[in-house]
Amino acid sequence: MSYLTGTFAGNQRRWIWLAALVLLPVFFLPVLPIWIMKLWAPQYREGLQLTIFANDIRGDLQSINTLNHYVGMKAISAADFAEFRYLPQALTLFGLMALVAALVNRRWVALLGWLAFTGFSAYMFFDFARWLYHYGHDLNPHAPIKLPIFTPPLIGIRHMANFRVLSVPGPGTLLLGLAWLLGPVVVLLERRAARRAGGPRG
Amino acid sequence: MLKTRWTWFAAAGALTLWAALSWMGCSGGAKGGAGNFASAAQKVYVKPGEHDAYYAFFSGGHSGQVFVYGMPSCRHITTIPVFTPEPAKGYGVDEESREMLKGYTWGDAHHPGLSETDGDYDGRWLFINDMPNARIARIDLRDFVTHEIFGPIPNVSAAHACPFPTPNTEYVFAASRFSAPVPVGSYSRVEDYGKNFKGIIAGVKVDPKSGHMSLGFEILMPPFDWDLADAGKGPSHGWEFFTCYNSEGAFDSLETKASQNEMDYVAAVDWRAAQKAVDEGKARQIGGAPVLDPATVKGIVYLVPVPKSPHGVDVDPSGEYICCAGKLQAEVSVFSFKKIAAAIAAGQFDGEKDGIPVLKYADCLEARVPVGLGPLHTQFDGKGFAYTSLFLDSKIAKWKVGPPWKVVDDIDVYYSIGHLMASEGDTRHPTGEYVVALDKLSKDRYLQVGPAHPEAAQLIDLRGPKMELLYDFPTYLEPHYAQMIRAEKVKPIKYYPMDENHNPRAIKRPEEARVERKGRRVDVYMVAVRSHFTPDVLRVVQGDTVYFHVTNVEQEEDIAHGFGILFSSKDMQVDPGETKTMRWVAGKSGVTPFYCSNFCSALHQEMQGYIEVAPPGSKVSSLQRPSAQRVSEVAALMRH
Repeated sequence: MSYLTGTFAGNQRRWIWLAALVLLPVFFLPVLPIWIMKLWAPQYREGLQLTIFANDIRGDLQSINTLNHYVGMKAISAADFAEFRYLPQALTLFGLMALVAALVNRRWVALLGWLAFTGFSAYMFFDFARWLYHYGHDLNPHAPIKLPIFTPPLIGIRHMANFRVLSVPGPGTLLLGLAWLLGPVVVLLERRAARRAGGPRG
Repeated sequence: MLKTRWTWFAAAGALTLWAALSWMGCSGGAKGGAGNFASAAQKVYVKPGEHDAYYAFFSGGHSGQVFVYGMPSCRHITTIPVFTPEPAKGYGVDEESREMLKGYTWGDAHHPGLSETDGDYDGRWLFINDMPNARIARIDLRDFVTHEIFGPIPNVSAAHACPFPTPNTEYVFAASRFSAPVPVGSYSRVEDYGKNFKGIIAGVKVDPKSGHMSLGFEILMPPFDWDLADAGKGPSHGWEFFTCYNSEGAFDSLETKASQNEMDYVAAVDWRAAQKAVDEGKARQIGGAPVLDPATVKGIVYLVPVPKSPHGVDVDPSGEYICCAGKLQAEVSVFSFKKIAAAIAAGQFDGEKDGIPVLKYADCLEARVPVGLGPLHTQFDGKGFAYTSLFLDSKIAKWKVGPPWKVVDDIDVYYSIGHLMASEGDTRHPTGEYVVALDKLSKDRYLQVGPAHPEAAQLIDLRGPKMELLYDFPTYLEPHYAQMIRAEKVKPIKYYPMDENHNPRAIKRPEEARVERKGRRVDVYMVAVRSHFTPDVLRVVQGDTVYFHVTNVEQEEDIAHGFGILFSSKDMQVDPGETKTMRWVAGKSGVTPFYCSNFCSALHQEMQGYIEVAPPGSKVSSLQRPSAQRVSEVAALMRH
């Protein structure tokens, strides 16, 4: 318990500051894509791209929707995603929590923020997978071209009909991941520091 | 220590960002390029002065024309105007071709069909359809000129499955793409589609000597969208096969509603039986055509179920296999004619559709070949392989006709291929040398010319074990199908022999040159020879209708003369030995020059004349002749 109410040493505290700094560009400016999907087909050798931001989905949306309608896939529209209305705010909150944790320098604040961030991120992954499942499974039965139901890849490459689909986290997610990783890094560093100091403390 | 750690993290962050951004920018690899450019270039190179091995005739789509290319050089040689007026040749301007066009200024030309003898191209004629106006044109390959336009064919509503000649050019066919009430033009609510709308299959007879077309028979078909056709040959000779989509009978939102049935049909038409039934008086007259109702006249047409909106139907060189590409299915269904004939003989039907017996799919099927996505059309190489165009995959798949019925090779094309055309690839003896991919959509493969891209076509070599892309070349709007014939089979003339010019308005000697007046009609009988028209000065009165009958008496290669009148839309080309008539109304008094618009000699520019248009009420002699001196000058030139 005293561990949780304790404070970080200067070095470890700087890592918390860094976590807040890393989160900054993501939460203040949703300009870094959090996910990128790319589709290639013989007739689209240069590829079609979907770029997902914290608050929007951009890219060759119109072309992709036009193609998808032949197989009865629901049109992809930013307006359908409630996530875009709370995701930037949520990320802002995590950024602020990191800032607060660094400012007040209390372990429990940092841990709370980190756990909330972890839970939320896990939920968002699940949510994204659910959307992908939905788009590949809720196909209009009256569509001119009938495809067997499918799930676009969450991460990686998959062949779907005449398309090769690549799905990867964008730089936004990579930065978020980096910020998240700083949690375990801080713990690790503290443990190492404690070991060097000669045995566990607190 | 601390400082370096910060730097390390910044570097790691930057690296991550770079990795992510480079992912965004990475592009998919594409195969299918000409691997060895030098060797590919040699295979299409035709030395200056030498000739290509093949003529290729490309339909001009909604340009209403036919484009002639030499293969393998892919050089555009000429454009034949067919359904669209063409000022360069005066096509649709002179009276003969104007009458042939019947006032239409447009056609949508889809499927060129070379005339055949015993299932092989004979190089006599090229037929081509005008889909929307249900017409068939016949181009004579003696002079590469459109000589006849048959139609609009009664009751046929857009001749898409057309003309696809039979093995001895006994028939060319037309089938309604848009079923409609018959006779065409009758009124019905579209909601009464199932009740009042009908498809029509028309057999147009071709005179074996002259090529002249006449209507043989029509068959009332269910109100589907009749799509494409091919003639049986060998064992299946005597039959013509037609695919359809929209067996659902939808009349709106076809994109969805016409794609619901698992099975559509290929209709097998016994055209000899149909013609016999008409000859025996079993047809009833509808819209001026003898129409057979298959519900009452049995044995002329059968339906074979085909999966998922078939597009092309192609009979293999042996005539035994009928290959249907289900455009919404990744397979070609291959039917055996033997099995179809046996099922018909045994009377094994799966009920009837609008009185037409439906055969069982399994009874007729020989194989289902998994070719790839969006199969449309199939061509053959005469070496036991078939080539199917794949619209969605943007590929051509090569597959074995016969066990194991599998794809053995494929090649990428640029992009979204529609038809494909192999050298003599739909005859009984394909040459197996080339296939040309005709693309429906295309990326800019050439210098950009704005948002409307030229259509792309690719020449692919079939002679090796693997298909090889040799060359790609742009084509003008919008080739659907093409035909390639060995060059030596086509024997064009160099000029029209003067003694074969039986045009009643032709004049063969300068002494006959004259201007004749009958009331307000003026007939000008004119001789064109380098470098003058005779007569070259003539006098008419404002309001006269003047007919210029121009005979080009030259008997030498490429000495065509033009005849163009200033401030008018009137210009025509008269080839050596030819006579053409042009109608011109003298609208205003004054002097109107005319001139030769087709370069003909060093003194070409001097080849001109004047029409004096006298004010209304002026007296003009009813017969004008050129001077004796002029006549003798021209006579001297003609003896030369």
